[in-house]
Amino acid sequence: MADQVDSMSDAELRTKLAEHGFPVMPITASTRKLLVKKLKMVLDNKSKPRNSVDSKVESRRSLARYSSGEESDLDSTNNAKERRGRRATTGGAMLPPVTNKSRRIPLKKDSPAKRDSDKGSESEEEKAPVRTHEEVETVTTRRVTRTYAANDQDDYETGSDSDVDTDKKTSSSFRSSSRSSDYISSTLPTNDAATSPPKSSIFSRPTLTHTNYTSNLSSSDQLNSIRSRLGLTSSLADRPSVSNYTSTYASNTYQPLTSSVDEIESPYLSNFTRRLSSLKPDPPKQTTFLDRDASNGSTLIPRRSYITGLMRSDVGDYKAVNDKKFLKNNLVSLALVALVALFFFCLFFMYIVKKNDITSVVDDQNSVVQICQLNIPGNRPGINCVPKEQVSYAKNLLKLIHPELTARVAAYKCGKPGALPYLKESEIIDLACVRPETVDVSQCKTDLNNLEVLLMHNPRWGLNVVQHNLYSKVVEYIPLTSTDVLVQQRNKNNVAIALSDPSTPILCLFVNTLYSAGSTFVVVGILSVLVLGLQRLYKYYLNYQKKKSEEIYSMVEQIIDVISQETEDSGEPYISVDHVRDTLISPQNREKMSSTWDAAVKFIQKNESRVRTEVQSVDGEDCRVWRWVASHSSPKRSTSWQGQAFETQEGSVNNLTVSPTPCLKIRHMFEKNDANPNLRTVIQDVILEKCDRCNILHIDIERTSCCVYVKCATPTDAGVVYKSLHGWWYEGRLITVKYLRLERYMQRFPNSPASGPYLKPSRLRRSWDE
Amino acid sequence: MSSTSQKHRNFVAEPMGEKSVTDLAGVGEVLGKRLETAGFDKAYVVLGQFLVLKKDKELFQEWMKETCSANSKQSADCYQCLKDWCDEFL
Repeated sequence: MADQVDSMSDAELRTKLAEHGFPVMPITASTRKLLVKKLKMVLDNKSKPRNSVDSKVESRRSLARYSSGEESDLDSTNNAKERRGRRATTGGAMLPPVTNKSRRIPLKKDSPAKRDSDKGSESEEEKAPVRTHEEVETVTTRRVTRTYAANDQDDYETGSDSDVDTDKKTSSSFRSSSRSSDYISSTLPTNDAATSPPKSSIFSRPTLTHTNYTSNLSSSDQLNSIRSRLGLTSSLADRPSVSNYTSTYASNTYQPLTSSVDEIESPYLSNFTRRLSSLKPDPPKQTTFLDRDASNGSTLIPRRSYITGLMRSDVGDYKAVNDKKFLKNNLVSLALVALVALFFFCLFFMYIVKKNDITSVVDDQNSVVQICQLNIPGNRPGINCVPKEQVSYAKNLLKLIHPELTARVAAYKCGKPGALPYLKESEIIDLACVRPETVDVSQCKTDLNNLEVLLMHNPRWGLNVVQHNLYSKVVEYIPLTSTDVLVQQRNKNNVAIALSDPSTPILCLFVNTLYSAGSTFVVVGILSVLVLGLQRLYKYYLNYQKKKSEEIYSMVEQIIDVISQETEDSGEPYISVDHVRDTLISPQNREKMSSTWDAAVKFIQKNESRVRTEVQSVDGEDCRVWRWVASHSSPKRSTSWQGQAFETQEGSVNNLTVSPTPCLKIRHMFEKNDANPNLRTVIQDVILEKCDRCNILHIDIERTSCCVYVKCATPTDAGVVYKSLHGWWYEGRLITVKYLRLERYMQRFPNSPASGPYLKPSRLRRSWDE
Repeated sequence: MSSTSQKHRNFVAEPMGEKSVTDLAGVGEVLGKRLETAGFDKAYVVLGQFLVLKKDKELFQEWMKETCSANSKQSADCYQCLKDWCDEFL
């Protein structure tokens, strides 16, 4: 296989590399050799994959650690105990490398421990775990996503995933620790044939063969212990049966096999996969799982069964437990809700019942009935007493009109137009006359009078005899208390009967409440909308003000710029206001901006000291002008020159009478940490503008020593420069100038021109550009 | 990475321009000669190779070992130098 690599085309090589998990990179003449070499190494490594099985298994286990949190601790202790016997010799040596990742250390120890048992500890091997560990890390992350993606697939899928992983693992582990792989392949040539696996059975085999391989090398008692731990009851000679089993597995009945695979592999299978398989409703699997454990008789039993037990209870009863838990947790709140519901139901029930009890109240023995007795002179039937035989008639009448009255009250309360909350006498008589047993109208009237008397004496019945006002539009009535008034009103035909405590029907109550709530809402809504609108308006107004003032300020600045510029350029000390406006504002905007302009003009008049507004005659016409007052006192251009510190004129002690050389060295024109990239141009312009009457050939700066070097055409020019610069303040720094010998200057700047075009300030040009 | 060599700092400080291959950290006269015979006479050619190998440390070191039999320290220095330069200027 490795021989083909040399003759591969670039494209083939690239795909091959990509298959083995390399980054795809251009294959050029210079990289090809390298990549070919890499691929060869990978292929070599793949043909003896055992060394990588270890780390692959590790990766799986470590995955299990991190993907299923609650089980990981269990498992790790399990693992630790399982390995303790063999690890004892190397445990100390292995621990240090990665102390902060203590969780993974048990895994890592796995492989060196095995190797140690094979070969004894060597100093070289102590480095191996660190490397393997790196690989474990990378693969772990990869596996995590994959396993979750394969969530819904069956175990076989997950298994084949890890199969692919084996290949990748092989390559990557080889990349990082070729030493260990070499070592293994050299020491174990005999195992090669046995372990080179057919592709289809890789799923379960790497682990198995690996186990066998380890035990093969170790002493026999170790072999047995491993076997018992792994739940393999067969002896070493049984290995063919294992592959048999693998092939049956491959022949397609996944379901039953997963369990046994699960079991055999269980020390190495990721916990996640294990749990996945246990999630399936497959009771036989679980029982076999347990049986095996029981028959095993190894030290593993308790922990194993514990895990399975845990899982079963977790999985099997998961739903039921969940429901129960929910009930338990929410018992109190549910009870509260039930109580409240009961309470309201009772209330409602009482309300309903209370309504229809007029009959019982009327027939109650406790009601006061004024029976007319013949021997008492004051008794007048129908006015203050009732003849005994007519009491039942009156009561019947009451029972008749009561529902009608209730309906009326309901209609009134519900806001039906024209509805009255009481029954007038005439209406009652009309009602009474409809009765089949009525004899005549006078009888009805008598009954009514009797009833009124009864009502007046029995306020408990819940009805009042009232006086109603015929002529007022507002529905109002006054309860009558004495029989005398009743007689009076009866004559005026003003008597009516009303309910004493009219209750509103539920529906109407509801509707009314809705109405009032709705109207409240509407009012509140309108108010809040109003408030919001006002606030919005205010904000808008503030924004507008701000914008306006900003506009005005920018306008003022523009005006001042224009004034200073124009007065400077034209030489006239003033400029017409309208002219400035026309310069600044384009014709189409002039109308729009007039308010801004006026405000700006006002502002300048008030607050600008450098501009004076006056009236001048321009071309024979008087117009308002702005005079630039500050133009002469502080020329903008030379703000950086802040005056002279000492005299350098002719005759001064600071002045040399003869300039010795044409070259000058100027100190302190800039600071050491001045980061201005245009510093050279700036300095050059400043110097040239300051000494505009002399011929300067070359100016350069040296940032490290903060010096400016100037070369003039003649020593006389240098003298002029010297006089105009020496002892000046420039941007807060005092400048000193010294003469420099020409040789030195030429040493420093061999390329500086000896003659030719003199330097010109570039600022004028730049200001035009701006 | 607490301290880098002066050569490294010099190289990383500015664009490499037309710098010779020996200006790379980790590449001395001997390695420089070997690289030049292999056609890598300027630092930017090595940078090209570095970039073609996608800044992969392992592959670049392997390549250095292959081309000019650099040891792992030299190749690591050179790798770091180019990587820092790329981080700065690329």
